[in-house]
Amino acid sequence: MQKKTPLQPIIAALIVVGVGAFIFGVMGRNPDRAWQAYLINFLLWSAIAQGGLLFSTVMTTTRAKWSGPLSGLSEAFTGFFPVSFVLFLILFLGAPHVFPWLHSHDLHGKEVWLNLPFLFTRDLIGLLILYGIGFVYLYHSLLLKVEPGDADGAFRSIFNRLQGNRPRDPERIKQRKGVFSILYMLAFALVLSLIGYDLVMSNDPHWISTLFGAYTFVKAFYVGLGGLIIMAAVMHLYPGNDFRLDDAHFHDVGKLFFAFCLVWADFFYVQLVVIWYGNIPEETAYIIERTMAIPWRYLAWSIFVVCFVLPFCILLNKKVKTMPKFMIVLCGCIITGIWFEHLLLLGPSFHPETHVLPFALSDVLISLGFMGLMLAAVSFFFRQFPELARIGKGEVR
Amino acid sequence: MATDTYVMGIFGSEDQAVAAVHDLKKSAWPLVRTHSPIPSHKLAEAVQVKKSKAGWYTLFGGIIGFFSGFALAIFTAVRWDLIVSGKPVVALIPFVIVGFEFTILFAIFGNLIGFLHQSKLPRLANLKHYDSRLSGEHFGVLASCAADQQDGLQDLFRKNGGDVRVFDEQTPTNGR
Repeated sequence: MQKKTPLQPIIAALIVVGVGAFIFGVMGRNPDRAWQAYLINFLLWSAIAQGGLLFSTVMTTTRAKWSGPLSGLSEAFTGFFPVSFVLFLILFLGAPHVFPWLHSHDLHGKEVWLNLPFLFTRDLIGLLILYGIGFVYLYHSLLLKVEPGDADGAFRSIFNRLQGNRPRDPERIKQRKGVFSILYMLAFALVLSLIGYDLVMSNDPHWISTLFGAYTFVKAFYVGLGGLIIMAAVMHLYPGNDFRLDDAHFHDVGKLFFAFCLVWADFFYVQLVVIWYGNIPEETAYIIERTMAIPWRYLAWSIFVVCFVLPFCILLNKKVKTMPKFMIVLCGCIITGIWFEHLLLLGPSFHPETHVLPFALSDVLISLGFMGLMLAAVSFFFRQFPELARIGKGEVR
Repeated sequence: MATDTYVMGIFGSEDQAVAAVHDLKKSAWPLVRTHSPIPSHKLAEAVQVKKSKAGWYTLFGGIIGFFSGFALAIFTAVRWDLIVSGKPVVALIPFVIVGFEFTILFAIFGNLIGFLHQSKLPRLANLKHYDSRLSGEHFGVLASCAADQQDGLQDLFRKNGGDVRVFDEQTPTNGR
């Protein structure tokens, strides 16, 4: 039987609160709000998991040695993949509440692309491919790190059964791992683009930005790195395990995070400047509504400051990047900022006439529920494969 | 203590040079300079090099560049004062590109100036106490001592596996 950690009651409480708030919202007078919070959280937490694993695949492809135990940590995000997949299936039930275009009669020929069965089928297949490749990559990565039969659990038994008694050839495994890391990166770019177009951009069906897909997957890597830094810092600070990182690890991953802060802002800007030059009403309306109209304009500027200006100025400093407690706060603020960025992208389509920011306590509670699911998935993964969290100070794989 | 003689230890490996620096620090002889054919973290740690201020030059270069880029774009736009496609003459959104490019350019200039200033370059005169092997693959540790103590200093370098070269102000001599 697994030993209970003090975290488990907290995780259980978060999930209960989140599920309770969601069900209460769906059964209440305004189910739209609950489903919209669900969609935002599905997008955000799935992006953290998908972007988190991307770190490991990037390190594998570039044959980077500096990441050391961080790669193992990032692989723990795969624990959320099945949860994310189930959450996507549940989203199907709330489709009338999260796709305003379902109630629109003038899609101007886009009905071929924007119809519910096709949308869900292609996104479902996309997620299956992405998560499938992610798990195959994980399997090869674990083969290099984990000895059979060290721990028990469902994932562990599947892993043990899959590898059987076959002799391991590390060179062959490394080669396959390299191939699947590249496949994951390709699938990440394509599937995240599709998700961005289908679940976010489509909510304003008359607006088009060809860069929106790229913006979506860059953002996913940005929040994935943020999630990874939080996880690494928490595990480094937690006295109950042997996992310790050097300052150099925090410094290096902090630099990568800083770089993707710039890339995220760059992808936002390159969309903006093209729309600004083109000055076509069906394109500019989207930007004007979100950056000039009340109540969204204050939110837009706050997001820009929290997700770009502040991190940019703060992360210029080397020392800050090596302070785990500070990085937890900073990355937490940025991930919260990206939550609101999703609200900014989706909100005006859901609430076209509002003069008050549609944000309430129920949104916070549902978000806490999703956070609980993420924590549960990651801690479940670590219980199945505890080797990944047992790497000593200074050890580099 | 009079330090009128310069003795250089010339080493084939990084570890030997680092060991010599550590021994030198324990002695009374002052370390003058080290040479390395590679950017050696071990040697930098042994010498306890102070953190470079080149980063500040880069930062200030970047900040100056950011504002210079906007200023240049605004100045040239105002000089022509042409309204194109109904856009404002001073339009900040596209000027971000000029501001960004100038930020990078001036940050690089700042970095280069910082590097030259911090390294005290260009150095027009040749180094006074130098061995041509240091332009190849060897590590060098230069220390000074009083003329009557040079044997002790030479022993320190030899003990760590190095060749020794002694410099006095007139004629350099080789010793082994």
